[in-house]
Amino acid sequence: MTFEAKTSGSDDLKAIISAISTLVEEATFVATAEGITFRGMDPSHVALIDISWPNSAFEKYECDSDIKFGVRIDEFSKLIKRAEKKDSIEISISDQNMLLVTVGKNKKYKMRLIESSATDTPLPKIPYDSKITLSSSKFDKILGDVQVVSDYLTMHTYDSKADFSGKGDSGEVIIELEKDSEEIQEITSKEDSIGTYSLEYLNPVVKAVGTTAGHITCEFSSAKPLRIEFKVANIGRIHFYLAPRVES
Amino acid sequence: MSLTSQEIRKAILAKWHEDLSKYGNFISSDSISGSSPPSVFVGSSSYPKVSVGPMVPPIHGDTGLLDSPERWTGKTLEEIVNFRLNLVRGIQKVSVNQTDGRYIENLQELAMSSKPIDSDLEFYKTTHSNISLDDESAPFGPIGEIKSAKFSNSSSDKSIEKTFYDKDLKAQDAVLKLYHSGIDISKIQKCFSIGMFGKDRKLVPTRWSITATDDIISKSLTQEILDYPLIDSCKIFSHEHLGNLFSIVLFPHRWIYEMIEAWYSNGVLGFGSDFEDAKGIGHPPSIAGAYFAAKLGVVEYLSKHKIQAGVVILREIRPEYAIPVGVWQVREGIRLAMKKTGFVAESFENALDIASKKMSISKNEWLSKGNILKLIKQKTIADFF
Repeated sequence: MTFEAKTSGSDDLKAIISAISTLVEEATFVATAEGITFRGMDPSHVALIDISWPNSAFEKYECDSDIKFGVRIDEFSKLIKRAEKKDSIEISISDQNMLLVTVGKNKKYKMRLIESSATDTPLPKIPYDSKITLSSSKFDKILGDVQVVSDYLTMHTYDSKADFSGKGDSGEVIIELEKDSEEIQEITSKEDSIGTYSLEYLNPVVKAVGTTAGHITCEFSSAKPLRIEFKVANIGRIHFYLAPRVES
Repeated sequence: MSLTSQEIRKAILAKWHEDLSKYGNFISSDSISGSSPPSVFVGSSSYPKVSVGPMVPPIHGDTGLLDSPERWTGKTLEEIVNFRLNLVRGIQKVSVNQTDGRYIENLQELAMSSKPIDSDLEFYKTTHSNISLDDESAPFGPIGEIKSAKFSNSSSDKSIEKTFYDKDLKAQDAVLKLYHSGIDISKIQKCFSIGMFGKDRKLVPTRWSITATDDIISKSLTQEILDYPLIDSCKIFSHEHLGNLFSIVLFPHRWIYEMIEAWYSNGVLGFGSDFEDAKGIGHPPSIAGAYFAAKLGVVEYLSKHKIQAGVVILREIRPEYAIPVGVWQVREGIRLAMKKTGFVAESFENALDIASKKMSISKNEWLSKGNILKLIKQKTIADFF
């Protein structure tokens, strides 16, 4: 069995681990000849992260049989944080069931693996009616604007326009979004859509991925889950699914 | 017209004083001889220097019942209070870090004994029997500061003895191991309080150890049920004892749990509630130990039937519950409810209607004091698979 993956810098791996850490304490990755994937839900099953990191996004990638490996995210994260921005990170698995992590040229860590508990989680099946593409920093700012009055973000699209709003005990806020070339690249809707999502889940993941993603794409339909796509390493991506809050 | 709390309390006290005048010389004296059920108690005031000691009734023989709440179901409030008042509590002030020395070791042997232990206590002064009852603390018999204590030989429960001598076993693993080997929760809790578990051992005030034991066990069972399939319908279970009305509603949902309590204080209704999802509660509940005791009763049911559910527990505390006898009655009340055949409802709303029918508080009032409606607005990803 050969498995070896080497990144060119450390930002993408940091963003990925950090995003996963907002939902789970333990993660099982799957490596195949095509690349590395991860899929998992938080304990309440309110959010799901689906990561695809193709082999071509790595500086060097080799995997001749499918393997699963489980890590404690806090332990992995601590170790990855020791890397400078430009440091490459190389991972492989030892015979003694340890993860070997080489940070930069000369830092060689060994980390214990845990029993992988991965069950096959399906993805929610939904047609997305609306799509908004904006910079992650803009989205982060909007979340901050809404959070001062509300715990939930309501996303609304109509006639290819959009507004984000929030309502709480102290008051409410509405932020109208206008398409511009810089921060808001796209607003489209096949059907007017309105969905409400918890900031308790949105805030941490948007902060975790941070500016690594550049632009992000939010897709949703009325009273259906939201899917946010964060691009990493040019061709890799994180899909973050968040179940809506629905008035019954 | 039912009696008010004050009247019930007065009647129980009058009976107690009558008993005292008959048997008073056993209890109001500077010594006591009897069989400890076995029972140990760790106070919480003046922490970290706490009052620790055995509880001994003025009776020899099989006194086991006196401190085994698991065996008290079906008894009246008055009977239970009399168990408590029969126990004379000997104390010595000890630092919580002191889990060795002859006195504590004797108490540890007492706690793990499988049979009552003949005990002779001598006090510095005559014990006092002026019992004071309030809504906060469970009633006690007289208290005396111990000058000397002698205990007969004990025969230790083997599984407890093994965890006691295993100093590498974490306290929570010790609790779980004993629970799964069938030891009563009240027994595990006593051993926990007298500093018998864990790597870094400490004495733990009895009231904290009760909550900790319920919390450890219910948390572990909750982790287990997260892997089970959801219940397929709404079900209601209920039980009433000691002036407490319990209704448990199970509904098809990822684990989510709320307990709402209502009580009468001078004729005015008070409410309290706490809740959690699969991440757990993360802060001490405002309704305190009842939250974990009730949770334990319901997760035992879910784990036994290998199902997962959303849970709402309603507890109405009637004025008849004049003397709080301890959080065990919540745990046992829920356990008894879950042993009955549940009632299947058409919908969650319908289930709450049925759950509140026998109570003096309407469904809408319960819902407005709780958070469950707000909580179930949050859908799960699995709802869209």
